[in-house]
Amino acid sequence: MWENRCKVAVSGVGYSKVSRSADIPLAAHALEAVKEAVADSGLEMSDIDGLSTYPELPATGHAEVDGISVVSVNCMMAMLKLPNLTWHIQVGTTNIGGAVQQATNALLAGVCKYVVVWRAMHNPRGTYQNLPGTEARGATQFTAPFGFGGPGQGMAVAYTRWLETHNQDREKMATLAVTQRRHTQHNPHAYFYGIELTKEDYLSSRMVAYPFCLFDCDIPVQGAVAIVLTTADRAKDLKPKPAYLAGYGQRLHFEVAGRIGSLSSYMEGGSSSAKLTWERSGFTPKDVDVAQIYDGFSASVIYGLESYGFCGEGEALDFIQDGRMELDGALPLNTFGGSLGTGRIHGLWHIIEGALQASGRAGSRQVKGANVSFVGASAPIVTGTTFIFVGDPY
Amino acid sequence: MSDWSKVTRPIPVPDEWTKPFWDAAKRESLALQRCQSCGHFQHPPYPTCVNCMSIDLKFEAVGGTGTIYAYTIMYHDGDKRFASAVPCASIIVELDDAPGALMAGNLLDAPYTEAKVGRRVEVVFEPLNDDITLPLFRLAAE
Repeated sequence: MWENRCKVAVSGVGYSKVSRSADIPLAAHALEAVKEAVADSGLEMSDIDGLSTYPELPATGHAEVDGISVVSVNCMMAMLKLPNLTWHIQVGTTNIGGAVQQATNALLAGVCKYVVVWRAMHNPRGTYQNLPGTEARGATQFTAPFGFGGPGQGMAVAYTRWLETHNQDREKMATLAVTQRRHTQHNPHAYFYGIELTKEDYLSSRMVAYPFCLFDCDIPVQGAVAIVLTTADRAKDLKPKPAYLAGYGQRLHFEVAGRIGSLSSYMEGGSSSAKLTWERSGFTPKDVDVAQIYDGFSASVIYGLESYGFCGEGEALDFIQDGRMELDGALPLNTFGGSLGTGRIHGLWHIIEGALQASGRAGSRQVKGANVSFVGASAPIVTGTTFIFVGDPY
Repeated sequence: MSDWSKVTRPIPVPDEWTKPFWDAAKRESLALQRCQSCGHFQHPPYPTCVNCMSIDLKFEAVGGTGTIYAYTIMYHDGDKRFASAVPCASIIVELDDAPGALMAGNLLDAPYTEAKVGRRVEVVFEPLNDDITLPLFRLAAE
């Protein structure tokens, strides 16, 4: 087991308004979320001495403008003018989960005391994956000439591989979409709060990239979420009950740019990350009370459930049936609605929900008695990270 | 059947790692990068062998038959360059001579519903201009 288990904790959490269009600069969303997270902790902004984020815009063909389409550390420094800042980072390879892990490492190293981590996501005007080029350079020379553009198609080809090699039926995914949307009705911050989804809606919705229909894809939105991370001894003295970080992992699988469609890459990425998290925390999948698994595209949950070890390969679509993923089921899953419910804010919201469930702060969607709370914070293939939070340190 | 005639495909720009692939395609032949140390085929090309880390890599001619490893059928017409062809099948092919190397392509001359994991396909070559010829696929005898 990891000697640093339960020595760092998530304290406060914060959310901005989530909107479909970019009516105000993204920096304003990020600032709103950060302020709320700091206030939720009962801290003053001047207490914050660490900043960490992953500022990437996953859309293609749009300018990255700091404060408008991304919110970098530099932008946050300019807005907050923190008098006691001692440490900051923005990560590149592991999406927002890596930003949380680096903040954890900085706290353990003693170079800062209270770190804010945020993820701000922009919804550009026009087509999200805007691919107007007449040339295909670099890795895209082997993909773009055949119409492979956005990440959805890359995920879709692995999904056909999964469906047909395991003789499975995409209609079973309706359970995931419908159950997560029902969970969303307990999350007033979510984009789809107040909007129901039925199995019939799912089955009759238009295809985007087979096997993905509209409701297999998270909707692009503008918004931000944030957390305060601190050491366990400091977290105990703050307002909210802490969610202790019991262990984490990151994918170790090597992936070649431009190679797409490889189902085994998702599986190897996920299992390598989860193995570290199980070993560090000392838990196994059977110990988990509640799980958040990244669902930017629905099939990512399948790859997660199987590669993390919750069920066998080819079993995930059967595993989620019969109420298992309900709030009172054997493995409550994506209890905040997932990205399919909140809109595309990436995995920090999964981490937030993992922390809230561990600390008993999830309100009307709280899983009763939850202690061991698992998070897979992004698609396992390239940027995969995994976490376990607990309410009771051990 | 998808109408590919009005599609304006982005034109590949070869670089030092990929030029032998496109040179071979222009001759209507397939050549994939192979590690001379361990024999591993890989695609797309990479500066090192992803299996054994050797940098002794050469392009070797391979046959044009294989199976569909995976596929997607594009319905969304957000990419206007391909809008006239949707729905259309974008496929990933594993060649018989290069197991483990996955090539992207399109399925031509067949309804897009014929794209299935495990179907036999064979390469066809489509010149995009004087310099670049694109390998694509059609169904082959089972």
